[in-house]
Amino acid sequence: MKLSVVRGGGLAGMVTRTELASDKLSAEDAKALHEKVAGAGLLEPHTDAPSPPSHPEDLSYELTVEHEGRTRTVRLRESAMPEEVRSLIEWSDSLPERQMVIEPPGSGRASQ
Amino acid sequence: MHRTDLPLAGSPRRHSHACCFIAPPDLLARLAESDRPEQREAAIRTLAASASVRTQRSLVTLVMRQLDVDVGALAFMAPPAGERRTVYDVQHGGRSALPGRKVRGEGDPPSGDEAVNEAYDGADKVYDFYKEIFDRDSIDGAGLELVSSVHYGSGFDNAFWNGAQMVYGDGSGHLFVEGGLTKALDVIGHEMTHGVTQYTAGLRYGSQPGALNESMSDVFGSLVKQYSLGQSAEEADWLIGEGTLVPQLGKALRSMKEPGTAYQGDPQPGHMDDYVELPDDNDPRNDNGGVHINSGIPNRAFYLAATAMGGSAWEKAGRVWYATLTDRLRPDSDFGSAARATVEVARDLFSSGAEQEAVEKAWRDVGVLS
Repeated sequence: MKLSVVRGGGLAGMVTRTELASDKLSAEDAKALHEKVAGAGLLEPHTDAPSPPSHPEDLSYELTVEHEGRTRTVRLRESAMPEEVRSLIEWSDSLPERQMVIEPPGSGRASQ
Repeated sequence: MHRTDLPLAGSPRRHSHACCFIAPPDLLARLAESDRPEQREAAIRTLAASASVRTQRSLVTLVMRQLDVDVGALAFMAPPAGERRTVYDVQHGGRSALPGRKVRGEGDPPSGDEAVNEAYDGADKVYDFYKEIFDRDSIDGAGLELVSSVHYGSGFDNAFWNGAQMVYGDGSGHLFVEGGLTKALDVIGHEMTHGVTQYTAGLRYGSQPGALNESMSDVFGSLVKQYSLGQSAEEADWLIGEGTLVPQLGKALRSMKEPGTAYQGDPQPGHMDDYVELPDDNDPRNDNGGVHINSGIPNRAFYLAATAMGGSAWEKAGRVWYATLTDRLRPDSDFGSAARATVEVARDLFSSGAEQEAVEKAWRDVGVLS
């Protein structure tokens, strides 16, 4: 399983991408990743609703989960983030295996 | 949390596109439905007791008007006289935990937590700047209590004004230096100025109006810093958030003097020829249509106008920009209309003509006016 989180629209004006791959984790952490991703509903199909920022510097997130040959992507604003997703992101951020890069703005695939 | 477009207190033409408030929905629903005066009064008293709602009394006042409740009954919701600043520790919680545990109220001695003290002192300096230079009484112009919450989230690389209060993350140490967000006075001023914009022009947070919104926050954030240091426009470094990024990323978040030079890969343009067209959508890569990117253009215009006029930047250029923000701009104002407004304001405020000329030239130099 791979979890990617792209963040942008905050005070820094930067776009960051973080990635966490279960094959780089201990068995315990890999299991926890799967459980937290499933618990956050990120393995379910869904439709993104358009959501303008609630306030200035309202961070935008794009979470992508790759698992067993399937990819699911969801976009959220920080102001509307469910606690299970917040908890997943904070846990993922705490792991030393998590990789982060800064991306230029506007890059990546076209808006969907 | 509810989000709705509400007219703001004051002039009916002022309008905030995106404004959010936290209120117990069941209480408001009971209030709306009850035809018994004692129940409505009880709901009002309960609302007033909520610290988080108290800080949003302007918004609550408007909601009450919509519900046809006697707004006079809300008078006792005003904070005690002289209670200007309060700092809370949200203890790494998220938005549902805001504002958090009260740590330092107005007049309280310093806390053992530096982030608390920095947020407290920063709010004071921003308040004093707006009061002393523009005679503005707090963010809403009517003495709004300044609420700040620190330690939001875990290693959260952001700070924001959420429509009612300031919120500061700790920084992860990978993007922002840990503890860095409350140390930068211009960052504090930037966030509080989003509140001023909310109560005045209401610039929509997307595309050009959003870039103007961002620029206004950088302008007045920088002025607060320059004022605190007693600097002239020439002496100022015109950097936003200097020292807040981890050093390997760069020296600052933005440069108003030379957009695009604050850090390696800084995408800010300083001229309309380099305007970055991005969709205003949910994609985090697009920064709501490039609001933190294209703000470089009006930022540089302000820098050019201020240095051309001489003296300290808040004395003349700051006055022109403040009057433009609070009296002229509308939610959908773009760079062109903002530029024309600043030129008119400079003409109206200063009889010599030199100030108007400096403002006009600044906008020509960045390609907004021809």
